[in-house]
Amino acid sequence: MISLLLSAVLAQAPAYYSPTEAEAVFNASNDAYAREDYAKAKEGFEKLVGHGFGSADVLYNLGTTDLAMGDLGGAVLALERARREGGPREDIEANLALARTRQLDKVVGGQTEEPFLERLALATPESASAVALLSLWSLGFLSLAARRLLPSRRRGMAVAVCALSFVFAAPVAGAVAAHVYVRRGLDEGVVLAQSLSARELPREGGKVSFEVHAGLKVLMLEESGKFVRIRLPNGLEGWTEREGVGAL
Amino acid sequence: MRPRTGSWAVLAALWGALASAPALAQQRPEFRQSADRREVGTEDTFRLTVTITNPPDGSSLKLPQTDDFETLSKQQSTEMSFQSLGTGSSSIRRVQKWTLVMRANKAGNLVVPPSELTTSSGTIKTEPVPLTVKKGHVEDKNADRSAAAGPMRLFDPFQNFPFPQDQDDLDEQSPQNIPIPRSDSDLFLRATLDRDSVYVGEQATLSLYIFSRVDLSSVDTLSMPKLEGFWSEDVDSPSQLSAEQRVVGGVPYHAYLLKRRALFPVKPGVVKIGPAEADVTTGFLFAGRRVHRKGNELALRVRALPPAGRPPSFPAGNVGVWRLNVEPTTAQVELGQPVTVKVVVEGRGNMRSVSIPPLQVPQGLRAFDPTITDKALSSKGRMGGRRTLEYLVMPQQTGTFTLPAVEMPYFDPENERYDTARTEPVTVTVVGAAPKMAAAPGVAPEGLGKNVLAENQTLRPLRYRAAFAGAAVPLWERAFFAPLMLAPVALWLGVLGAGFARAAAKREDPVARQRKRARASRARLAAATQLQTRGESSEFFGEVEKALIGFLEARMGFSVGGLTRDELDVKMEQRGVTANRRAQVLGLLDECDLGRFAPGAGGSGAREEALRNAMELMEDWPA
Repeated sequence: MISLLLSAVLAQAPAYYSPTEAEAVFNASNDAYAREDYAKAKEGFEKLVGHGFGSADVLYNLGTTDLAMGDLGGAVLALERARREGGPREDIEANLALARTRQLDKVVGGQTEEPFLERLALATPESASAVALLSLWSLGFLSLAARRLLPSRRRGMAVAVCALSFVFAAPVAGAVAAHVYVRRGLDEGVVLAQSLSARELPREGGKVSFEVHAGLKVLMLEESGKFVRIRLPNGLEGWTEREGVGAL
Repeated sequence: MRPRTGSWAVLAALWGALASAPALAQQRPEFRQSADRREVGTEDTFRLTVTITNPPDGSSLKLPQTDDFETLSKQQSTEMSFQSLGTGSSSIRRVQKWTLVMRANKAGNLVVPPSELTTSSGTIKTEPVPLTVKKGHVEDKNADRSAAAGPMRLFDPFQNFPFPQDQDDLDEQSPQNIPIPRSDSDLFLRATLDRDSVYVGEQATLSLYIFSRVDLSSVDTLSMPKLEGFWSEDVDSPSQLSAEQRVVGGVPYHAYLLKRRALFPVKPGVVKIGPAEADVTTGFLFAGRRVHRKGNELALRVRALPPAGRPPSFPAGNVGVWRLNVEPTTAQVELGQPVTVKVVVEGRGNMRSVSIPPLQVPQGLRAFDPTITDKALSSKGRMGGRRTLEYLVMPQQTGTFTLPAVEMPYFDPENERYDTARTEPVTVTVVGAAPKMAAAPGVAPEGLGKNVLAENQTLRPLRYRAAFAGAAVPLWERAFFAPLMLAPVALWLGVLGAGFARAAAKREDPVARQRKRARASRARLAAATQLQTRGESSEFFGEVEKALIGFLEARMGFSVGGLTRDELDVKMEQRGVTANRRAQVLGLLDECDLGRFAPGAGGSGAREEALRNAMELMEDWPA
């Protein structure tokens, strides 16, 4: 009995993957995908994500596998996560476009494209923006400090460097701020369930305002119990089950 | 015109011959018999030829009859020829020849009894023919000589397709050597092998024939022997009986091929093959008769592959003659698109046992498990074929890659040596993906064919290389980011503060300055102490005066140097200096002037007093 319990515990305990083991799981999953054994491929990619190897590549492959399996919600969720991790890549965009063509929901009356800050965040590399901001910021203040230490005839150059640094730092700071906003201030999600009812109130018997279907990207505004208030791109809002929405 | 004398001469000769014909009947006949062998085996046949030259009319021949021999077949022929006698007359020579195919029924020194020719004038006998009969089979040397010449071969333009160096016909056992059974010699079942010794994995061909001298209607059932110890495959299995003429031991037969199988032995040793059995119907329609026939046993000697020259880790199934080829579908491919590489092995041998080494791909390419396609072929009874391994190779980076040569060792049983089939290295260039064409679905871009599929309708392939890292934490969320952002500001503020501090330090403080100057004055007075006992009195008193003036300036905050005694007195009074102290200052200044400029006035006593007064003044001066 004890051994049975022990084996059950060990079987469920998350194992650590070394990079080599992770690569082996990755390759095995790719092979399974090539054999059209999508269930096994998905299992492998999910294991990798679950063990902390959720890079953009792994998320992209997971999303593509989901799409091949017909799991539209999972596909959009994984592909959007891959997009956030690695930026917009041609293959991600192509598969996301393919997923959108299969979506049941066509949001009418809303904005046709993403908000400016989201587009700015997607268009700018996050790490590079942060590094650029740090560099320009440091250069500006170092120039200010140097101005006080340099002889008077070279102080003009220090002032010019300082001015240029702060001028260039301003838009870069804007890009970083957009990333911060998207990460911290924008709580987005993807509808995972095949069909979800959006209600006027966060309770079971609440009046249904509209229905959403798998793959639709929504904004999650607040939570109440097991409900979350979502907002569609066209402004429609409603309460729906939290379990049916995957957070990005 | 030439005279036509030739036709008259021919007519005359014919007339002469006919006129002499009665003389033929009067000639004595020649009568003899002979055998084509002197030594035979009990399983061999021989020919007994009985020749009668100019047999008399009405004569009868009695061929030899004995229980020691059996007659398998009998043929008779007659030859006639003109014979010129040299005297202008001629005769006709007539030769009757009987050919008997016989076989001894027992071993020993036997005698074929004489033949007898009975004519009107009596009985003539031939000489008996003695024969040495041995048990089994005895080689016929005359037959060897005739066989050495070999059959003439025709040029075969397809002799190398698809099998290289394919020069063997199905070299079956010679019909001369097929033993004719003692019973059922008119219809028997015979299995033959094209060779009696092969290597493990080398093909031997088993052929099953029915030899018949009677009309054959059908073969109802056929049970093949169990071919244990072999991997076998049908080469020929006729659905209809088709006869071909064969002479077995001098006896003409109709031979019907029932089955031909390729045998590939799997282990060395002598492998026995049991007899086949068949139910055969002879005759036609209602005159048909069903008979059962059992074939012969066979033995095949199987040799192990020679160890000499065997490559290490040689696959035992690679026996035959093989050649290898590698064909990529394209020499240039876009990144993300697969390229199919076909490894084709073809040749002669047991294709299904051939082991082909896997395709090795360099780093940057990835090969998936191949799809294997076999196509069996046979030529002149020899098995072979083509095996194709299709590898799906997925590029993982751009560049030029060389697929190394594939090498497959095999044992060539014909030349009895090991050889290696190898390919040339193949180069594949992987280029970056071409710019995407913005084609609307279903609308072919201009200049392209109609069958252009809209690329946005297909699922993009997986990525085959991944960064195995967790979800990246943004740089701005990391712990070091805020300190790094604040550090330049702090540095700048530090530099700024240091500057202020430095400027502040540079600013004059009156009290401090007074104290500083007072300290300088006391120091100067201390220096004057050094001059008290040595040096000039003017120097000593000059130092004391400078110390006093410096002290006064430090304490009162105005310059004393250019003032007269009265002006100094007024200023000191204005600063609240008491009259007694003012008198002390003015007296000490006068004392210094006296010591500096009055000769003899600066003695040691005066110096000591001036120094003491100056020290008391400075010490007692209120802070």
